[in-house]
Amino acid sequence: MSRRPTKLMGNRAVIALLFLVAAFIVNIGCLVRLQIFDPLGYKEKAAAQQISDVTVSALRGTIYDSKMNVIAQSATAWKIYLDPSKIPDEEIENVVKNLAEILDVDEEKLIKNVTQYAEKEMGYYVVKEKVENDAKEKVNEFRLQNSGYTEFIGIESDSKRYYPNNNFASSVIGFTAAEDAGRAGIELQYDSELTGTPGRTITAVNALSFEMTNGFETTYDAQAGTNLVLTIDSVIQHYLEKSITQALVDNKAKYAYGIVMDVKTGAILAMTTQPDYNLNDPYTLTDNQLLTDINKIEDISERSQQLLNAQFSQWRNRCISDTYEPGSVFKTITASAGLEEGVVSMDETLNCPGYIIVGDRRINCHNHAGHGTENFTEGLMNSCNPWFVTVGQRLGVDTYMKYFEAFGFTEQTGIDLPAEFQPVKGVHYYDKETMTNLDLASVSFGQSFQVSPLQMITAVAAIGNGGKLMEPYVVQAMTDSEGNTIWEKTPTVRRQVISEKVASQVAEMMEAVVTSGGGQNAYVAGYHVAGKTGTSEKLTSDEKKYIASFCCFAPSYDPEIAVIIIIDEPNAGKINGSTISAPVAGEVVEQTLKYLNVEPRYSANELAVLSDTSPDLVGKSVSEAKSYAESKGFEVKVIGSGTKVLRQSPEEGSVIPKEGIVILYTEEGDAETVKVPDLTGLTLSEANKKAANAGLNIKISGNFLNSGDIKSYKQSIEKDSSVAMGTTITVYFRSDTAGNDLAD
Amino acid sequence: MAEKTKSPLKKKKSGLGLFNTGAVDLYFLILVLILLAVGLVMLFSASYPYAYYNNDGDSLYYFRKQLMFAVSGIVIMMIVSKVKYGWFKVLTYPLLILTVILLVVVLFLPDLPDTPGFKRWLYIPGMAGSPTFQPSELAKIALVMFCAVKMEQNHKKLVEKPFAFWPYALVTLILAGLIYLENHVSGTVLILMIGIVMMYLGGTKRYWFVLGIVAIVAVVALVLIKPDILPEHAAQRITLWLDKEAEPTKGRWQTNQSLYAISSGGLFGVGLGQSKQKHLYVSEPQNDFIFSIVCEELGLFGACVIIILFVLLIARGVAIALKAKDRFGSLLVLGVVFHIGMQVALNIGVVTDFLPNTGISLPFFSYGGTALWVLLAELGMVLSVSRSSSVKKV
Repeated sequence: MSRRPTKLMGNRAVIALLFLVAAFIVNIGCLVRLQIFDPLGYKEKAAAQQISDVTVSALRGTIYDSKMNVIAQSATAWKIYLDPSKIPDEEIENVVKNLAEILDVDEEKLIKNVTQYAEKEMGYYVVKEKVENDAKEKVNEFRLQNSGYTEFIGIESDSKRYYPNNNFASSVIGFTAAEDAGRAGIELQYDSELTGTPGRTITAVNALSFEMTNGFETTYDAQAGTNLVLTIDSVIQHYLEKSITQALVDNKAKYAYGIVMDVKTGAILAMTTQPDYNLNDPYTLTDNQLLTDINKIEDISERSQQLLNAQFSQWRNRCISDTYEPGSVFKTITASAGLEEGVVSMDETLNCPGYIIVGDRRINCHNHAGHGTENFTEGLMNSCNPWFVTVGQRLGVDTYMKYFEAFGFTEQTGIDLPAEFQPVKGVHYYDKETMTNLDLASVSFGQSFQVSPLQMITAVAAIGNGGKLMEPYVVQAMTDSEGNTIWEKTPTVRRQVISEKVASQVAEMMEAVVTSGGGQNAYVAGYHVAGKTGTSEKLTSDEKKYIASFCCFAPSYDPEIAVIIIIDEPNAGKINGSTISAPVAGEVVEQTLKYLNVEPRYSANELAVLSDTSPDLVGKSVSEAKSYAESKGFEVKVIGSGTKVLRQSPEEGSVIPKEGIVILYTEEGDAETVKVPDLTGLTLSEANKKAANAGLNIKISGNFLNSGDIKSYKQSIEKDSSVAMGTTITVYFRSDTAGNDLAD
Repeated sequence: MAEKTKSPLKKKKSGLGLFNTGAVDLYFLILVLILLAVGLVMLFSASYPYAYYNNDGDSLYYFRKQLMFAVSGIVIMMIVSKVKYGWFKVLTYPLLILTVILLVVVLFLPDLPDTPGFKRWLYIPGMAGSPTFQPSELAKIALVMFCAVKMEQNHKKLVEKPFAFWPYALVTLILAGLIYLENHVSGTVLILMIGIVMMYLGGTKRYWFVLGIVAIVAVVALVLIKPDILPEHAAQRITLWLDKEAEPTKGRWQTNQSLYAISSGGLFGVGLGQSKQKHLYVSEPQNDFIFSIVCEELGLFGACVIIILFVLLIARGVAIALKAKDRFGSLLVLGVVFHIGMQVALNIGVVTDFLPNTGISLPFFSYGGTALWVLLAELGMVLSVSRSSSVKKV
């Protein structure tokens, strides 16, 4: 039989071939659908997974103080994340336990979140941001030790903001929140400048997110943010913070805040709100009592709301955001307007009977008995309400409000800080269209309207600046990452408010206030402080609460700095600006001007009681040294039986009081030490005597020219400390009965 | 009848020698070599990132091994093609028995560490890196040879008697059953299809196929409605095939990545070597899913050219078969080229998600040395038949 393939087989082979071709046509149809039409967008999905577009974060600009000390700086940190969808179930516990331990995060919360993410197949869970290098290295070690862990434990670069001085200038600097976004203060105001331009690295990646072996890579470098140079001087800021903090504690006040301003430029040299907070930990409440109270609230939403409110309150820069009734400080403005308009002259006198009638209302002077006949300067020294009501009434509403506006009380000062108080007509100050003479009377001595501390100091500084109102600012320059200056602030004069002549007249009046009027506690020998006190009652509550303030500039003949000190709700008995705010201002002025190397100009009176410098006695024979020192009026004490002076205390050129004590050592050996006595609560002569008996010198500071009831209240070296014999201790004096200017 | 199976040895016409001196079909040989070359190039391209990541940076790992198998495979092919194909009849039953033995042995070998639950691979126990071999590869050609041998004698009976197909069906079912026990569904399906095609070519009554198609439709419908009746892993694949939106990171990862690759190719592809999906997205791109990388790099155009090469190969095989000097040779060639064709169509069906994901490799392209040897040996048989076929040669 034929073994040849039959026809049937041939036909069937062809049919089978056609079936196969049909199958291939179906195959091609599928390919056409996918490759030409791609109805489900697979091509895009593929591209999306193949490209890694990694943002390279740019470091935020550094913030420097005016002397280029670092105030805020960013450093590279790390972000640790997990890909929960890729963690094998049996590994979750081990991963979470170890990460929680290394990164110090809540293990329970972490395991809950990771499990949830894993269930939803979600692949990116940030375990912790801003992780420092040590911890990051530990995480890396952990993931390398366990095989497969690199697939789901990720490390990304991140940055962390450091504030090396913690609480320092916190209300001005502000801080950054997540994603490096400025949250308050300068960090917020200059957020866009400080924020760098993030770079990008675009790479082709394989399924494990590693770069493809033949992949391409395009990198755009990250550009670091602009650096800021502040006008804030750390040294002055430190003086201000120290004094204000002390005042806060001494007066058991709710808040205390203050500003030091460069009179000629409007630059803010220091600004603080106390209590402050730690910029590295801004969310933790510094007020423990408040924190305890909030934690007691049972309702969770109420509690978190209260916590949030408390945080916002903590971050508030009260110098620029809060308002108060300026009280008597405002009399300097009224005086300026009156003199400028010529409605009053320097030698004019007025009789204060203790009240003044405006329309049908009787307005009392704080001195109910009346100040009697007083000239204009005396009116300011006495903070006499009738005098300034009179000046106000002579000016009339329109003219008065012209100055009110010119001094900047109806507008923002324009400082480069966020959340500045915005005065609203009819709410914070009178609308002159509807303002009555009675309203004007209260405005004339600083009541019935609201200003911010910054507005007040800016206006007072204008008096010190020959009548030129400056725009205050805190950033003086910007530099690029190489340190080249790319922008510099030119001080802005807003307007000439009063003439130079009037300005210097008012300055003189204000100096008199400090030298012999209500502001004596701010007196600093040689520095000619010109200032005005203010005390006002807070109208917002039933309980009587006060704001004690003092605003000044110095030296009055050529002002360098202006200072405002506000003690909000003092609660330790004393409530007057003259008593509690003025001495603080005096301390700040004295330290600051000394730091700024402003030469003191002493009056003859001052020189009479002031310090001297110790003579050079080393090398001389004992008798020679003794007779020389005694001829200069110093007291001499000889230690040892040698014939030659080997050492002296205080050293040559040190400041010691006139008739102070000089210790001469004639033998080698340790300096004699003495215990510092308590030098507070004493009169000038008592303090001097006590110090001399102990073998110590004192330097007098503060209000001491006025005989009477001045008492020392502070000493530079604490009592009971051991110091070398002859050491000079600064003792501060003030009067507790300086003028009462509470206008009521 | 038993006498006749040994007849080629006695018959003068076939010659008594071991070797055939006729010329091979150059068309077929060239198509084989082109496909082999293209397959090697694509294997190199598709495998090098995977090789790089998995073999300590040795990008050439798979290519080098495959190339060695290809070169030696060509030698095997040419030697086989020299052998008078009548000798293959002698080998048929021993091969079938060996295949069955190996299919049973493989079931008792411990699972390979990287493929737990699957028993497709034969290996030398205790030898690390032992060469692996799928006896199911052997089963395909054994079944083809068995059918060809038996149908040569029984062709008439098959055409005339309705139930004469039972020995083929039985052998097919035994082989399919054993492969099914390996947890190897695609192998099972392929064996069944080879058996059906062979029975069809052999002349089995047409109504059986009508009935068969009805039965297959019913089974497919049943499987789609109730995938649970299949082994677990197969059932899962059917479920995932039906649920195109299934989460891409788990079960459908491989299929979705394949689709991403194909779609990325577009009309003309991203260029040879430029695939991104082969960078660990498509799992083991050198194996069953190599065609998706081909589509990505060469585009629809390249894919069609390759499909056409396969069609030409099969069509040429059919031409050789129709002009073969006997039915054994004819059926042998048809069996070989159709099983290659079906495997290609199934593979592309899987990578395009037209069919559920099964482990089916692409002849000439997928990595696997022993499989390539078997393939080239089969093609050697086709060439051997072509030497005495009266098909018009170049």
